[in-house]
Amino acid sequence: MKRDLTPRAHRRPWQLGTAALAATSMLLLAACGGDGGEEDGAGTENTEGSMSGFAADQQFKATEPVDFSILWTDWPDLPIKDSWRIFDEIAERTNVTLEPTNIPFSDATEKRSLLISAGDAPDIIPLVYTGEDAPFVSSGAVLPMSDYVDLMPNFEKYVQEWDLGGMIDNLRQDDGKYYMVPGLQEVSVPVFSMILRKDVFDEVGAPVPETWDELRDALVKIKEKHPDSYPLADGFEGQSMLNYAAHAFGTVGGWGFGNGTFWDEEAGEFTYAATSDGYKEMVEYFHGLVEDGLLDPESLTATSDGSTDELSEKVANSAVFAASGASGTVVEFQTALQAADPDAEFELVQIAPPGGPAGQVVEPRNFWHGFMISAEAKDDPNFVAMVQFLDWLYYSPDARELLRWGIEGETYTKDADGTITIDPEYSLDAFNINPDGKTDLQKDLGFSTFLAEATESRALKESYNSDQFVEYMDRVLESRTPREPFPPAPLDDAELEQASLLSTPLKDSVDTNTLKFVLGDRPLSEWDAYVTELEGQNLQGYLDLINGAQQRFAEKN
Amino acid sequence: MVTQSGMSLSSGRVRPGKPVGARDTRGYRAFTVFNTAALVVVSLLMLYPFVTVLAQSFSSPGAIKAGMVSFWPVGFNLETYRAVAQDQMFWTSYRNTVVYTLVGTTVAMVLTTTFAFVISKRHLRGRGVLIGIAVFTMFFNGGLVPNYVLISSLGLKNTMWAVVLPGAVSVFNLLVMKSFFENLPQELEEAAQIDGLGWFGIFGRIVLPLSKAVLATMVLFYSVAYWNDWFAAFLYLDKNDLFPVTLFLRNLIAGASTTASEGAAAVGSTTQAVSANIQAVTMILTIVPIVCVYPFVQRFFVSGVMLGSVKG
Repeated sequence: MKRDLTPRAHRRPWQLGTAALAATSMLLLAACGGDGGEEDGAGTENTEGSMSGFAADQQFKATEPVDFSILWTDWPDLPIKDSWRIFDEIAERTNVTLEPTNIPFSDATEKRSLLISAGDAPDIIPLVYTGEDAPFVSSGAVLPMSDYVDLMPNFEKYVQEWDLGGMIDNLRQDDGKYYMVPGLQEVSVPVFSMILRKDVFDEVGAPVPETWDELRDALVKIKEKHPDSYPLADGFEGQSMLNYAAHAFGTVGGWGFGNGTFWDEEAGEFTYAATSDGYKEMVEYFHGLVEDGLLDPESLTATSDGSTDELSEKVANSAVFAASGASGTVVEFQTALQAADPDAEFELVQIAPPGGPAGQVVEPRNFWHGFMISAEAKDDPNFVAMVQFLDWLYYSPDARELLRWGIEGETYTKDADGTITIDPEYSLDAFNINPDGKTDLQKDLGFSTFLAEATESRALKESYNSDQFVEYMDRVLESRTPREPFPPAPLDDAELEQASLLSTPLKDSVDTNTLKFVLGDRPLSEWDAYVTELEGQNLQGYLDLINGAQQRFAEKN
Repeated sequence: MVTQSGMSLSSGRVRPGKPVGARDTRGYRAFTVFNTAALVVVSLLMLYPFVTVLAQSFSSPGAIKAGMVSFWPVGFNLETYRAVAQDQMFWTSYRNTVVYTLVGTTVAMVLTTTFAFVISKRHLRGRGVLIGIAVFTMFFNGGLVPNYVLISSLGLKNTMWAVVLPGAVSVFNLLVMKSFFENLPQELEEAAQIDGLGWFGIFGRIVLPLSKAVLATMVLFYSVAYWNDWFAAFLYLDKNDLFPVTLFLRNLIAGASTTASEGAAAVGSTTQAVSANIQAVTMILTIVPIVCVYPFVQRFFVSGVMLGSVKG
């Protein structure tokens, strides 16, 4: 063989290449999860650094300096800085140094799941919304927080004071425990409702609508005056409007459709929202608006990607006079109107969601995002101190004020009746407060971040929101009733999978057909056919699953 | 997009292989006209989004919001470039990207060329196994979490190596390079051996200098891949000051559409949408360097790919 010119000794170095490929053995390393949740209160003997007799409204201070790692979501316009004053101030007050693990906002949930599944998550996992703990229950990667609430006096105090006990019970998973503790809100109002040009409503002699029928009357009058306009629009593919309208019609829809079930108090079971009479009535109502040219059909179909630019433009051109939006949207509309005509005179208000056949009902009270604790933290000698610290950070009034406004006497002052005023040196651009201040509380010092919004008293909420929003909030609170929350029906792992297999196609059919009915692409006379179609997709099987889970849970607890 | 337009442009420019001596038939001329027209249209389609982003980056935010910007900047504005250029975080990320790309490409080239050379030798015992190991990874992998656990247990997390090493041997590139090496004349190596060169010498002094075309192509492939990569960095890096610019950009763009769902919209109080203008500026600044590389390797690029695949 002519190839055998090769001296053998020369071959060896090349074999090193194989070493690099030994990496295939990585499959063996896939071990995740732990054994958390079995022994109740395990870890409570790890009391190093904790305070004995820690009580509500008391300043927490670890008896020795401790470090806790925390997951920190990074918003693109609010990058975390090591120099942020908030970390120094927390360390000074509590002896706790927070060590953030940064995750970019763009893919925060994915990265969080990855870290938790790989058993590599930091001790403290904040920014967890209710229900987001469910996927981690069975793996035991996060601690059942319900076992530890007795270490959290502030949490217990404010749950009671703000009457949230019943809602806490709704957080329980299939095993009767809850794995995240939520941010508590003394009051909660729908973030999204309707924004309208009050001056235009005044002009045609229509009052601010309290019900959807009144709204219709007003829209008819406006249409007469501005025949080329579509006075009402949504801008969020209809999802926002259906969401807040559904409550008034005694059902759920749009963003709030959830898993599609609706608790029937009388029958004592879950029914499917999208086949209910209330839902039909709502669809009929909106179809009527479209038919009479009162509701902009384009705004129900155009993909928004979360931007309200197109809608703002329509508002600015007086093609739309009422639209869905949040307090931020009001500002966007204002800017657009002023850009179109600097001398324009207008008055924009966010109104309480109109009432309907089901009464002056709005969405149920809400929790805000809270935190979970990684299962490994329980073996940390400072575990109890960690729980106490989090209780202080999330729920004590002092910490709430610190997180929002910074340091009293330095960045803000508080007078006798509790009114908070920002120091003239500082600004809070995110809420357009004192924009001339040199140092921004949020961007430069790290206050008013996501931690600040988790738990808020009514007074604190009012302290930084615009007068307009406070007015809206007051209006909702005094004239609207939040719907009672549904009883919990937690599913186990296998059921969860089955439920999502069933509910996803159902929801797709509902979304498509709702839009078709509203736009008139499908006549309402075909409603029964639509219901039959849903039933053909094993609607009953799905409901049985949910109702079964509800009954099982009710018996167990 | 960059790769695509680069390729279609180049194939537009390459002279069509006219049959020697034959007169242009009417059909052939029609074909040429049609071909050119089609390629020009495709190129324009590829270029349009690029041009729009470029125009947006020089426009005023108001004009973009009003949807007035398509080919040409409206309300010329350099302010955003100035603002982005003053963003410390942007330059930190930018520096990281440059470092990751340079180191990554170097490491990848060393590993790929050496490995490809080995498996291009038909007489090597166990060659099939080596190729098999590499090809196996084209079809199967451990999955996200195991990979993460691997990187993390190797202690690579929050280091440059977590970004550099996992992508260091691209099997596709490896196979292209292998077939290129296989096609080098055997006699050259034999002559070198007779003249006393060992395998290292043959590889370094004979094979590599003869393979400039494929090397340039691979450098381009690897550097573009490293430059554009965000996923590895997203998985394995937890510190802002380690993030590459792609991650910075991705976060920026996602931040602009926070209101896509109600939950996120409610958080709107702490975030203000990042304007399309800032996005455009960041995108342009991010792609300019890698786009600039293309003209320099263009000639290698075309001949390199052809050599590796067709000849032999």
